[in-house]
Amino acid sequence: MQFLDVCGLRRSVRFYKTWQPVERDKIQRILEVVRVATTCPGNLQPWRAVVVDATKLAPKDREMLLAADNYQGAHRTAPIWIYWFADPEDGKPQTFQKRVHQLMDVGALASCHGWTHDAIDASIEKGVRSPEGMPEIGGFLHNLPYEISVAVARGETIGACDVACLAAVNEGLGTCLHMIATVDKVAEVKKFLKVPDRWEAVWLQLLGYSAEEPEAGGQRPRLPFNEIFFEGEYGKPFPRDETVVNDLRKEGLLRAPAPKPERFEEIKHLARMFGFPV
Amino acid sequence: MDNDLKSYSSVQKWIRNVNQMFALSESEWNNRLQVLADFCAHVGRNPDEIIQDALEEKGQKVDFMRRLREASKLKFQDSIRAHEWQNVVRSFFIHNGARVVVRTYPQGTT
Repeated sequence: MQFLDVCGLRRSVRFYKTWQPVERDKIQRILEVVRVATTCPGNLQPWRAVVVDATKLAPKDREMLLAADNYQGAHRTAPIWIYWFADPEDGKPQTFQKRVHQLMDVGALASCHGWTHDAIDASIEKGVRSPEGMPEIGGFLHNLPYEISVAVARGETIGACDVACLAAVNEGLGTCLHMIATVDKVAEVKKFLKVPDRWEAVWLQLLGYSAEEPEAGGQRPRLPFNEIFFEGEYGKPFPRDETVVNDLRKEGLLRAPAPKPERFEEIKHLARMFGFPV
Repeated sequence: MDNDLKSYSSVQKWIRNVNQMFALSESEWNNRLQVLADFCAHVGRNPDEIIQDALEEKGQKVDFMRRLREASKLKFQDSIRAHEWQNVVRSFFIHNGARVVVRTYPQGTT
């Protein structure tokens, strides 16, 4: 698919074809995209994922995982459940230090901007102010509290999940991000998935072939462009050129807004097809 | 219990909420109201009392759901028809703010 079509068709899908399995190669392709395309400060890469084929779960395990998501309807119909976690170890300054050295070694960070191996070490280990041209990492990363490392790992993993959603659409799949409902359920799910205690549960990505019409009822309400994007300073909206808007309509990014005609009729039929109450 | 279910505020709210989205036909509503009437008779409570009890205490709501399954099994041997019958009452609960667990058809699960 073309990039703008992928972006324009990205929806949170809430009804999946229970009868159509997801090909393993498509799951792998999504994970490969996340690995390569997700941006991250210091190349930290704190995201981890455990893929669960719901069709192969024992009934009691399936029930436990559904309960952890508060028995959400969409979860019941999705055949693949990807549990995304953040590893705080990869949000720590030491990891940043190691990965940034690596970025220098491969030529991604250039000494012409001020980056040097010595400056990286001095900034992170001793809090020495970084040379101009490179970010002032000493002030931020030296003696960074662990809670901040956790927050960084979580934040960056959320970005990875966004990439995973677009990658799923590119594979012709429906997807939706859920979460593990409560703290005690998180522990239960982590134990079941055998993930390290330190990992932070971030999102549960549902994956499957959408049972909804391709546009899933239309594009969701979005805040007006001029209320969220500014030029130069807050309060001066970035001008929205209608020519660009029209081009993006033609190129597939901007599509019919929700609700499309017959959307509620569709939901009624979907609910009846799967056995949900209307 | 009043014979006219539509006189109960919980029923009015249910009809109003569902029709805002799905506009069910009169015959569909007649069928639904009959299901609700049967359930009310089974538990010996009127619609408003059921919702009041369910909202007041989770245990009561869980018990209503247990009795719902019980009532549907007495009426239907076919699990799909029983599930659909239960769903009418689940809808009544949901649209009155009483959260209930929803499930797919027994054989529709992945």
